[in-house]
Amino acid sequence: MITLENVSYAYPRADREAVSEITLTLKGGECVLVTGHSGSGKTTLCLAAAGILEHEYGGKKSGRVTVDGKDVREYHDLTDISTRVGILFDDPDSQLLFTTVEEEVLSAIERRGFSVAEVEERLAQVLAVTGLEELKDRPPHALSGGQKQRVVLATTLALGTDILILDEPTSELDEQGTESIVRLLEEFKAQGKAILIVEQKFTKLASLVDRIVVLENGRIRNEGPPATVLQDEIARRTLIPDFSGIRTRSPAVNGSVPMVCTRGLTFSYGEEEALSGVDLSIAQGEFVAIVGENGSGKTTLVKHFIGLLRPGKGTVTVDGKDAAKAPIAELAHSVGLVFQNPDHMFFADSVFDEVAFGVDNLGIPGREQAVMDALATVRLTAARDLYPRWLSRGERQRLAIACVLAMQPAVLILDEPTTGLDGSESREILEILKQLQEKGHTIIMITHSREIAGQCADRVIHMEAGRIADDVRAEAAHG
Amino acid sequence: MAEILQYIPGDGIFHRLHPVTKILFIIIVSVVTILTSSIPLLAGLLLLIFLLAFAGHLLRPVIQQMILILLMSIVIYLITILTVQDGAVIGYLVPSFIPLIGGSIPITVGALTVGTVLTLRFAILISAFQLFVISTQPRDLVHTMERARVPVDYTLMFIIALRFIPTLQIEGKRIHEAQLARGYHPGDGFMGRIRSVAPVMVPLVSNSLSRATLLGLTIDLRGYRTRARTRLRERTFGIADKVAIPLMCLAGVAFLYGFLTSSLL
Repeated sequence: MITLENVSYAYPRADREAVSEITLTLKGGECVLVTGHSGSGKTTLCLAAAGILEHEYGGKKSGRVTVDGKDVREYHDLTDISTRVGILFDDPDSQLLFTTVEEEVLSAIERRGFSVAEVEERLAQVLAVTGLEELKDRPPHALSGGQKQRVVLATTLALGTDILILDEPTSELDEQGTESIVRLLEEFKAQGKAILIVEQKFTKLASLVDRIVVLENGRIRNEGPPATVLQDEIARRTLIPDFSGIRTRSPAVNGSVPMVCTRGLTFSYGEEEALSGVDLSIAQGEFVAIVGENGSGKTTLVKHFIGLLRPGKGTVTVDGKDAAKAPIAELAHSVGLVFQNPDHMFFADSVFDEVAFGVDNLGIPGREQAVMDALATVRLTAARDLYPRWLSRGERQRLAIACVLAMQPAVLILDEPTTGLDGSESREILEILKQLQEKGHTIIMITHSREIAGQCADRVIHMEAGRIADDVRAEAAHG
Repeated sequence: MAEILQYIPGDGIFHRLHPVTKILFIIIVSVVTILTSSIPLLAGLLLLIFLLAFAGHLLRPVIQQMILILLMSIVIYLITILTVQDGAVIGYLVPSFIPLIGGSIPITVGALTVGTVLTLRFAILISAFQLFVISTQPRDLVHTMERARVPVDYTLMFIIALRFIPTLQIEGKRIHEAQLARGYHPGDGFMGRIRSVAPVMVPLVSNSLSRATLLGLTIDLRGYRTRARTRLRERTFGIADKVAIPLMCLAGVAFLYGFLTSSLL
């Protein structure tokens, strides 16, 4: 269905190729998983396979790509190619143009020469299989990340093309959401469709995948059936996250000093109650994971620790300070919050200046040393003069941690620090966090992944509908 | 967070009108508003828009928008008081009991009249446009403009600009929070404020620009370059349209006649 022969490509003004000498075949009824570190060329490979590089991008190209037996250059334009290939990009927000879910899906199928009845039938069908019937009148931009991904998937599937290229279609879905997408794709595969999918969650997709391609610096490092590829140690660590050995006996947890303490914490967004009566105490030096479905109140809870939200009712004390009243700048001396998307913070021209921003704001003495220490901890010393946005996603995530770390807070909070990272990059982040815990920091991490929570944290707090449903010490839960 | 200029699903009278009728409504209202400086006529128009919004179950968002217009009117009045000196003086911006500078900057009737006219004009234009945008599905607008042979690029530019207002609002808020957590404090004084814009604006603009490429690809991949469209769920002209269009045309012609004869005389 798709062949790539010796494809190399460099973006305009880039000094190295994004993909090099890629040769790959995708057959009908087959699912190929593309994986690798962030910045290894996965998205570029998708753009090449869909013929988009050929038609829409400048830069240096070589090699040949065919879709359905025809050279992509012979297709008239993207609209022409889109009748053969359905493609989904990794950022759902850039693919939502309209104000209702139904309009969004219609926009993908109403310019294809179908009859009215056919369009209506496809619309109803695709809304049903993606579970969007109840959301059809809602504005897509106001949905949750996972719901947005389902809307974008629906627009991709609506055309019924035989080839699907999906770039991280489940990155923001929780486990249940991911399973339902996998079942759907299995059905498509059984119908003979060809699927090229970029994902980091191999373990969740194992039943679907026939072949794996592991990219490294734009080149294919491994290719073959899962059993063969998994024999390679490095590929295995990329595909199957291994967090063993990260949790050691809890060091220096000082149970008598509560670092974070909430009593009867209640908070509402308008009329919607997001937290109801949360009582929580986190000791100095603990490594705590907070898990729960989208919308269960995880982020709302931690925003109270640094004063970004103030309690409606109840109290919050952090490092002895009243977090209901203390100014954010004062709380920032005690608490560092690393948000989910590192791109929400970068604005400086160099990695060094980016980290120095927080240090300067808080007036921390020994500026140069504070910045370089933080960069050394996250293993980015060599990148000090680079432009932050040129780093890979994994490096940007580590930089975000350094920015907060350099401010020397006692408590470090991270919101989904492993989103979009492969197994070995995720492990690297968790090793850094563990190291920080050993130095005496209190670590609070929000995560979707039960594996990470269960294998790395000393304590797992499970949130459900704004309450703490479960609070388990890891030793007790996992022996 | 209140969403600005976003379609609100509903089944009020404004929702049922054909986009063409609504565009005609905006054109006629705009022409009248710009040409006339009669305060009773402008006030009447604003009242009419409120009544229409009420009938279309859209009064609340229109009233909310008025807060912005009220803030704007303060600036308008200040400018007119400073620049227009016409008619009787009814007071002073700096009260006369203040020593030395007291009694300077007189407030004239002319200034207040001009200020009121300008405020009413802004209020009418903004709320009429808002009423149109929040009651029209972007899809209907694309179809209507396409029929009018307006290139689809222009229509898409317009609806995408509107569509990304809330996304930018949300993203701006997130970036602001992320920087607050890094101890960022909006600077003191005018220059401080200017400098402190960078930590929020740079990420906001960079993220939006990187989004633009994908957005363009998405539009192409959905076939917007082709004109062949399945005509389903097309808006048709209903009874309301058939009544409203002649009425609006009559009112427009009557106004123009009145305007031309009175200004010619």
